[in-house]
Amino acid sequence: MCLYPHGFIGCGMAGISEQKRCEIDGTVFNPFSPDFVREPHATWLKLVSEYPIAWHRELNMWVVSSHELCGDLLKSHDFSPNYRLWEHALPEKLEAEKLDFDRMTDHSLFMVTQKEHLRLRKLTMPAFSKPVMSQIDATIRDLIVERFDEIGSPEAFDVYTEIASKLPVRSIARMIGVSAEHEAMFQKFANCVVLAARINLTPEQRETAMREGQEGIDYFREQIALRRALAHPGEDFLGALIAAEEDNDSLSDWDIIALISSLITAGSDTAIDLHTYLINGLLSHPDQYSLLKQQPELMENAIVELLRHGSMGKFPFFRFAVDDTEFGGQQIRKGQSVLVNLSAAWHDPAKWENPQTLDITRDLNGNLVFGAGPHFCIGTYLVRAQARIMLEEFMRRFPDAELSGQDGDLEYDYAHHNARRITRLRVKTNLEPVRKVA
Amino acid sequence: MKKWICVICGFIYDEAEGLPEHGIAPGTRFEDLDADWVCPECGSPKDAFEEYED
Ligand code: HEM
Ligand SMILES: [Fe+2]
Repeated sequence: MCLYPHGFIGCGMAGISEQKRCEIDGTVFNPFSPDFVREPHATWLKLVSEYPIAWHRELNMWVVSSHELCGDLLKSHDFSPNYRLWEHALPEKLEAEKLDFDRMTDHSLFMVTQKEHLRLRKLTMPAFSKPVMSQIDATIRDLIVERFDEIGSPEAFDVYTEIASKLPVRSIARMIGVSAEHEAMFQKFANCVVLAARINLTPEQRETAMREGQEGIDYFREQIALRRALAHPGEDFLGALIAAEEDNDSLSDWDIIALISSLITAGSDTAIDLHTYLINGLLSHPDQYSLLKQQPELMENAIVELLRHGSMGKFPFFRFAVDDTEFGGQQIRKGQSVLVNLSAAWHDPAKWENPQTLDITRDLNGNLVFGAGPHFCIGTYLVRAQARIMLEEFMRRFPDAELSGQDGDLEYDYAHHNARRITRLRVKTNLEPVRKVA
Repeated sequence: MKKWICVICGFIYDEAEGLPEHGIAPGTRFEDLDADWVCPECGSPKDAFEEYED
């Protein structure tokens, strides 16, 4: 704790730069404690109001939590998500030792320089534009309707196993245009990509995951080559990536494969929580659930508010200081890591009135739910499409659904590396028993 | 009147329409927006925008 001579606790005051570094430890913020995962609000409130920025002695990183500082940090060019800038980063492999998987990772949105990152965002933007993205609505709908058909009309079911763990990777596959016969291969590739990106792996485990990803890399190289050989690469997502051009520059094969891997890294695990937190949020607030049923036009706003309110991250996003710099009144050293604690920021009372209230009509202007600035979430179209279609189907089929027991027999995976991952959420459907027609 | 696109998130600023809900009148040219105006979708600064032809 930061105890000041005049008796204040915390680091929230101005004029801190002459003071000692503001520090916290696990007694203030321990993202790996089950208590925190279950009930994070008091911790978040303490962080945003008393420690908007502080050095965490045990985690060895800065923790930035207030909405204002998180917004500034995301937009600042003094900090980058490029892991290679970290003071404790492993040395880069020699060129001769690199696997294709390393080459792919080298080109990903999380590993490139800021200049290169802007180049990638500009060249990939057309593929994420509405005309291209809206083509996926129908295929995502098919996927989700089929899933609900398989769920059928049970008395109760588990949202995690039946919905959340089944839709995210397949949705990405449909967005990229992976054909049904290659879906299993893509699922395996996605598992490798997600695994290799984990911070808590041994070098051997990471190497194995990277080698097992080779099949997926080969598949996409082949697909890209086939498209490049055509007179026109096509109007879909992959075609738009291949056709993109700016100032005589275009995306290389590695750029495209790396983008696909970035979509998997950032979009498969997050979307698992998307489904569980949406349903948990609505069913634990029956007034908001009925409001949404009455006013489906609130859907867009409701999705973002449910994400804000649920705050599924426990250890969400990172930056590394590009140089020695002063930020939020603290001296940050080049190469230090900074946790962008967006989950806390989404509950900052300085930005959100009654942050713990779920209000699907809330004015969400200036929210940071999808980040801000150069690394703003590239997958928002897919998030919205997936969330909207899933909720529409859920509400249509199970309008009277309730959580089982008190809280849906909620269970968390406390060991999850960055999310407050829900692994069980049971709902009662309250369907009328179907009468057998004689 | 022109249109401008945010290269980060794809948000389109249409000069003819302005952004009345953000207090920007229809017909406001992009160059006349405040220097510290940011993209209402992703918060990127003005220099993240390029002219857009549809
Ligand atoms: C609940 C769902 C999601 C939420 C709340 C979310 C939120 C975010 C946030 C806050 C960032 C900024 C990270 C940073 O600044 O370091 C981000 C980045 C990103 N998101 Fe999402 N996301 C979600 C789903 C997805 C999906 C489904 C995809 C892909 C299909 C995706 C792809 C990405 C990518 C590639 C980035 C990195 C962009 C860059 O560095 O330029 N996200 N997301
Ligand atoms: Fe934008």
